[in-house]
Amino acid sequence: MKRSQREELKSKFIEALDLPKDVVLDLPRVTVTGKVGVLIESHRGIVEYVPEKVTVNTSIGLLVIKGDGLFIKYVLADEIFIEGRVKYIEFDE
Amino acid sequence: MLFIKLWNCLRGYVIIKIVGQYAERLINQAAFSGLYLWDIRRIEENTLLAKVSVRGFFKLHFLARKTKCRIYIMQKRGLYFALNRLRRRKILLLGVVFFIAAIYLLSSIVWKVEVNTQSEELKDTILKDLEQWGLKPGIFKHNLDKQYFLDKILLNYKNVSWAEIEIRGSRVIVEVVERKMPPDLEEDDPCHIVAAKDGIIEEVLPLKGEAVVKPGDTVSKGDVLISGSVSLAGGDSGEKKLLVRAKGIVKARVWYMESVEVPLVETVKRYTGRVKKAYKIRFGNKELYFQLGKVNFSSYEEEELKARNIISSMFDSVSLNPILYREVKEEKQFLGVEGASQEANRRLAEKLKILSGEVQIVQKKVEFTLDMEKQVVVGTLTLEVIEDIGIEKKIE
Repeated sequence: MKRSQREELKSKFIEALDLPKDVVLDLPRVTVTGKVGVLIESHRGIVEYVPEKVTVNTSIGLLVIKGDGLFIKYVLADEIFIEGRVKYIEFDE
Repeated sequence: MLFIKLWNCLRGYVIIKIVGQYAERLINQAAFSGLYLWDIRRIEENTLLAKVSVRGFFKLHFLARKTKCRIYIMQKRGLYFALNRLRRRKILLLGVVFFIAAIYLLSSIVWKVEVNTQSEELKDTILKDLEQWGLKPGIFKHNLDKQYFLDKILLNYKNVSWAEIEIRGSRVIVEVVERKMPPDLEEDDPCHIVAAKDGIIEEVLPLKGEAVVKPGDTVSKGDVLISGSVSLAGGDSGEKKLLVRAKGIVKARVWYMESVEVPLVETVKRYTGRVKKAYKIRFGNKELYFQLGKVNFSSYEEEELKARNIISSMFDSVSLNPILYREVKEEKQFLGVEGASQEANRRLAEKLKILSGEVQIVQKKVEFTLDMEKQVVVGTLTLEVIEDIGIEKKIE
């Protein structure tokens, strides 16, 4: 309970100051390019990779990308770029 | 991204196969340790294909052991490997080097000499002469002394007013502009014979026209000696004149005076034969100066040799200038009055040679005086000659 209160306070504080949330709260930033590419910034590693499904760990849980013929265009310490035919993007709690 | 890709293409990269159950973990660890992996595809269960740089591969190999994955190299790509493969093919490499050398050598030879001018006749003669002087197909264009050939052309052809040598590729193009010589006086043009120099008339021999002067007359430069306008005798009209082209020989006594100064003590410069070379590299208008060792000559003369273009004549701005230092020894020679007089005499004789063309020397007087103040011997030569002083001048 205490933790969520603190979290809420932090969130309000940031909102009041109008700071970019992704930077301050370490939230992932997901950029989707049509149906062909997904760029995930500030990730925490790949959990699973098969051509139909890519699961990426982030600070707010798992990010699941489903589609056909997916492949990882490149991987860097804070950036993943996935290409292929993208169908679903969902956050798993 | 493009830059990284290009860099990897240059440095070389490998396509690897990662076999293992926890291949994702290997990828994560690689990414967090700063490796760059790209084009990761799953081709089978437990098998991934990926691309990684050469240096990254060795790090990855180390990480793979920890995550119990196996890595196999599928393909090596990039310039690095291409060169590596080439290194084994020595003959091919030799061929490439030989080819480049041959191209360079062949392109530094002059293959054709062209002369551009209006008149065909002049073109042929200049071409023939240039060949004789050494500018012909087959010589190297790098040590072609343009100035030398230009000077030769201008010296030998009086009717050339301007010449330029241009090296274009393997051709040497000589541009020549012909001078229109002032037209010789036509036979019909009326003219006088006038004096070219001051003098006293010794002999007048008019062939055509009317002699205005007689022997013993003093004339100055420009005076009419034989007139081209002849008064016609007889008839009523009296003062009727006929203009002709005067011709004749007018010999006159002319004096020349020359003097030379010879110092009693003469310094003679003599080369000792020891030389030192330095170089100057020129980039555009910047000069970089360097030399090996020091010039430890007490006195020397500096001579800039011809600049050479190192790279090619196209990059005119980059050139190498060798500078030659010649050691000089100065020796003082005491000539004395006697010696100086002899020296003066010798120099006067040289000048005399220049003067005398078709002249008849009547009197020659040489005087030596000693100038104590300046420590010199002054030699004075007075020459009295008889020569033809008449030149043609058109009647306006």
